[in-house]
Amino acid sequence: MAVKKDLSIKYLGIECENPFFLSSSPVGGNYEMVAKAYEAGWGGVFFKTVGVFVADECSPRFDQTNKEGLPWLGFKNMEQISDKPTELNFENMMKLKRDYPDKVMVATIMGSSDEEWRALAKMCEQAGADLIEGNFSCPQMTSHAMGADVGTDPELVTAYSKAVTETTKIPFIAKMTPNITNIEIPAIAAIEGGAAGISAINTVKSITNIDFENMTGMPVVNGKSSISGYSGAAIKPIALRFAAQMLQHEKLKNVEISGVGGIETWRDAAEFLALGCRNVQVTTAIMQYGYRIVEDLKSGMMHFMDERGYGKLDDFIGAALPNMIPAEDLNRDFQILPDFNEKKCIGCGRCYVSCFDGAHQAIDWDEKRRKPKLNDHCVGCHLCLNVCPVQGCITPGEIKWKEGRQKTEVALKRNYD
Amino acid sequence: MSKVTKAKYTSEASVGFTHRTAMEEAARCLLCHDAPCSKGCPAGTDPARFIRSIRFRNPKGAAETIRENNVLGGTCARVCPTGDLCEEACSRCGIDKPIEIGKLQRYAVEQEKTFKMKVLKTPAKKKAGKVACVGAGPASLACAAELAKAGYRVTVFEKEEKAGGVLTYGIAPSRLPQAVVDHDVAQVKGLGVKFEFGRKVGDGIDLSQMGFDAVFIGAGLWGGNLPDIPGKGLAGAYTAVDFLKSARTKQEAFDFGKRVVVVGGGDVAVDCAVTAKLLGADEVRIVYRRTLEEAPGSMSEFQYALSLGIGITTNMAPAELVGESKLEYAMFNGRDGKSGLKIAADAIVFATGQKAEDMSKIMPVALNEKGLVKATAKGKTNMAKVFAGGDVVNGGGTVVEAVKAGKDAAASIIAYLEKKGVK
Ligand SMILES: Cc1cc2nc3c(=O)[nH]c(=O)nc-3n(C[C@H](O)[C@H](O)[C@H](O)COP(=O)(O)OP(=O)(O)OC[C@H]3O[C@@H](n4cnc5c(N)ncnc54)[C@H](O)[C@@H]3O)c2cc1C
Ligand SMILES: Cc1cc2nc3c(=O)[nH]c(=O)nc-3n(C[C@H](O)[C@H](O)[C@H](O)COP(=O)(O)O)c2cc1C
Ligand code: SF4
Ligand code: SF4
Repeated sequence: MAVKKDLSIKYLGIECENPFFLSSSPVGGNYEMVAKAYEAGWGGVFFKTVGVFVADECSPRFDQTNKEGLPWLGFKNMEQISDKPTELNFENMMKLKRDYPDKVMVATIMGSSDEEWRALAKMCEQAGADLIEGNFSCPQMTSHAMGADVGTDPELVTAYSKAVTETTKIPFIAKMTPNITNIEIPAIAAIEGGAAGISAINTVKSITNIDFENMTGMPVVNGKSSISGYSGAAIKPIALRFAAQMLQHEKLKNVEISGVGGIETWRDAAEFLALGCRNVQVTTAIMQYGYRIVEDLKSGMMHFMDERGYGKLDDFIGAALPNMIPAEDLNRDFQILPDFNEKKCIGCGRCYVSCFDGAHQAIDWDEKRRKPKLNDHCVGCHLCLNVCPVQGCITPGEIKWKEGRQKTEVALKRNYD
Repeated sequence: MSKVTKAKYTSEASVGFTHRTAMEEAARCLLCHDAPCSKGCPAGTDPARFIRSIRFRNPKGAAETIRENNVLGGTCARVCPTGDLCEEACSRCGIDKPIEIGKLQRYAVEQEKTFKMKVLKTPAKKKAGKVACVGAGPASLACAAELAKAGYRVTVFEKEEKAGGVLTYGIAPSRLPQAVVDHDVAQVKGLGVKFEFGRKVGDGIDLSQMGFDAVFIGAGLWGGNLPDIPGKGLAGAYTAVDFLKSARTKQEAFDFGKRVVVVGGGDVAVDCAVTAKLLGADEVRIVYRRTLEEAPGSMSEFQYALSLGIGITTNMAPAELVGESKLEYAMFNGRDGKSGLKIAADAIVFATGQKAEDMSKIMPVALNEKGLVKATAKGKTNMAKVFAGGDVVNGGGTVVEAVKAGKDAAASIIAYLEKKGVK
C-alpha cells in the first residue's frame, strides 16, 4: 500500500537492492547479526574488518558526547579489527553469501605486509565476496604497519592496493581516514594501486571527555585512556566535506564513492547521494538504535523521491555537487535581512542577546513589548535565525544590495525546519 | 481567585506540534525494543513505529503507518483516552512522564493533509461482493474502509446529512474540529465507498430487498434516556444526544437559556457541560449521583470542565423537575438519604446513558434485554449475513473500540463472502 519507489542501484558493477549497507564494525561481526540486518532490509554489509592479526580488546571501550539530554552527538570507540579467528570470519561470510545470495557481501580486510594483504585477498575470493574493502584507516591499531598510519602514507596505500588487485579480480574499495588534510592524496594513491572505489570516512581521532575521578580521558581503562576514533552524527559534516572534495577532484571525479559517517536518517543518506556517492554505510546509528532504522531509511527515501518526482536514485545522485563552489566564487553583492514574525515571536530575546554579543548589534529590544526590532546595523548574517527557538519565526526577508553592485536574480532558501 | 479559561464553542482546546516541537517530543521516546505503547492500542495502531518514523525524519512514513491501520487516525489522535491506553503503557512513565502519543499522531496526520497524501488504495480489480453498512459512525466507517481496501463494493446508509456519527453530532468541536472528522471521512470516500445520506434504514428502506451479500450494523445508540421522574416532559429537559446534536447543528443560534444543569458522570456529561458553557451559558453545573472516584469520565476531562468554571457536585440524584410549562428548577436527593439540592435552571441535560433504537427494524437480528445487538467479538450475529459492532453491541464504548469492532467485523465479512464463493 505504502509508497513504492525503486531504490536499487549498481555499485562497482554489483546490483544492490538498495544503497543502505552496514559499515565495517561490530554491527556486521557475525552470522546472526548480519542475517538479522538482511531480514530487516539492509542491502548489504561491509563485514567487520578481518586481519591475520586477531584483536585483543580493552574494556571498557566506548564513550559518547551529548548535549542537553539529546541523543548521542558523537560516539567514541577504542576497538580494533575483528577479535574472531580469521577462518571463522571467512566461513561466516561464505555462509551469508550462500544463504542470502541477493544481498551484497563486502569483505573488509587489513594486513600488515604485502604477503598478508595477498593472503587475505585470496580468502575473500574463496569466501565468495562480491567486493573487497581495504581498511587503511582504523585509528586505534597497536602497530604502525596497520590502520590510519598506513592510510596517510600514499606509497603504502598504493603498494597494498596493488597486492590485492594483483591477487584477485574482485573490485577493491579503499577505506580512507579523515585524519589528514588532503584526503585526495591517499585516494589517488589507492586508485593508482588498482582500487575501483573509495569508502570515506573512518573515525576521527578524538578525546571525547576528561574523567576527573581518574584524571584521564574517557573511557577509563585501568586509570588510563587513549586517543581514538569518533563517529556518529557529529562527524557527518566532515564526511560530507571529504566526499565532495574527492568527487570534485579531476582524478577522482569518476570514482564510485561509498559515503560513511554520521548517517542516521534517510535525509543524511540522501545528502551523501546528492553529493555523488553511490552507496552509504552506517555503524553508530545502528549501535544506538538497531537495524530497524533501515525501515525509515527506505520509506523516507521513497517519500523524498516521490515528492521530488525522481524515478530512481540516479535521478539525483550528484545533483548538489556542482553547487558546492570555492568561497571566493560566492556572490557577495547582497545582504538578506531577517524578517521577524511578530505573531509567532514569544519574546524570549535570544536573537537580541546573540546579535548583540555575537554579531552586529542590529537588533533593538523593545522592553515593554518584549519584542525584537531590526535596526540598520544588520549585515544579514542570520545568527538570529539560527538561534530563534520558534519554528518559522525569523525567516529570510528583504534583499539589500550593497552600494554600486549589480542586481541579479537571487536563489534563496525559504523553508527552515 | 482562580483563573478561568474563556473560549469559543468552535475554538480548539489544545494546540498541535510544529515540526520542531514534534521532533523534540519524538526525541523523548525511548524507542523501546518491545514497545508497550504498541500493545496498548485496541485498534492495533503501532505508536512505537510511527514515533520512530518521526524521530528519523520520516513524517510521511508515520502518516502512512497510522492511516493504514486506522482510517479514523485523525479523530483518534484527538479523542482517544490515551491516558488509559498507549500513554499509560509508555515506558517513559518510569522516568518522568509519558510521550504525548496522541499529539504526535495528530502531527503525523496533519502531514498527510499538508502533503495531500493518498495513503489508502483499492485493488485494481474490484470484487463482485456488495455490502451495506448501517450508520456512518466510527464502526461502520472502519468496516467500510477495510472492505473497500479488499475490493468489495460498499454502501453506507446514514440517517443524518453528514458522516461521523457521534464525531459529527456529539463530541464538542473544541475537542474534535469538524475538519478533522471530514478529513478522515474523505479517506473512506476516496476508497470508492458510496454514502447515502438522509436514509434511515428500517424506515421504508428494507436492505434485505436490495441485493446486498452482507450487512453491517453500526447504528450506535441514538435512543435518548430521560429518567422516569416527575416533570420530565417539561420544556428545557434534554437528552444528551439531542442537546449535543442541536448544539452541533445550530451552534450559537441554539437557545437553551443561561443556567444549565448536566446530570451524569461520564465524558458525555462533560461534553454537554462544556458545550453549554462555550455556547454562552452563565452558570453550568454537573451533578453526578456517585463520587468522582466512581465516575466513568476521565479526570483530565473533569479538570478541563473545571478550568472553564464549571462546577461539579457529587452524590446527588435527580428526583423531580418543577415548572409551569417550562423548567424552573430541579430537585435532587442525596445518596446518604439526608442531603438534598434545589437548583434553578433553564435547561437540564441528562447524560445518563443512551440506548439503542429498535434495531430489529433494520434486520431481524437477536437483541439482548437492553435492546443491544447480540454479536460475537468478531462481529457475528445470529444471522449469517448480518454483522454488527460498536456502541450498538457494546452498549457505549470509545471511538477506538468502535474502529476495532468495525475492522474485526470486516474480517468476518470477508471470510463469510469468500466461503460463500462471492468473488
Ligand atoms: C458526547 C460524547 C462524547 C464522547 N467522547 C468520546 C471521546 O472523547 N473519546 C472516545 O473514544 N469516545 C467518545 N465517545 C464515544 C464514541 O463517540 C462512541 O463510542 C463511538 O462514536 C461509537 O461509534 P459507532 O459507530 O458505534 O456509533 P455512532 O458514532 O453512534 O454512529 C452511528 C451512526 O449510525 C447512524 N444511524 C443510526 N441508526 C440508523 C439507521 N437506522 N439508519 C441509518 N443510519 C443510522 C447514526 O446517525 C450515526 O451516524 C463519546 C460519545 C458521546 C456521546
Ligand atoms: C565500535 C566501532 C568499531 C569499528 N570498527 C571498524 C572496523 O573494524 N573497520 C573499519 O573499517 N571501520 C570500523 N569502524 C568505523 C566505521 O565503519 C565507520 O567508518 C565510522 O564509525 C563512521 O560511521 P558512523 O558514523 O555511521 O559510525 C568502527 C566504528 C565503530 C564505532
Ligand atoms: S529569538 Fe525568536 S522568539 Fe525569541 S525574541 Fe527573537 S524573534 Fe522572538
Ligand atoms: S513505550 Fe513510550 S518510550 Fe517506549 S517506544 Fe512507546 S512511546 Fe516510546
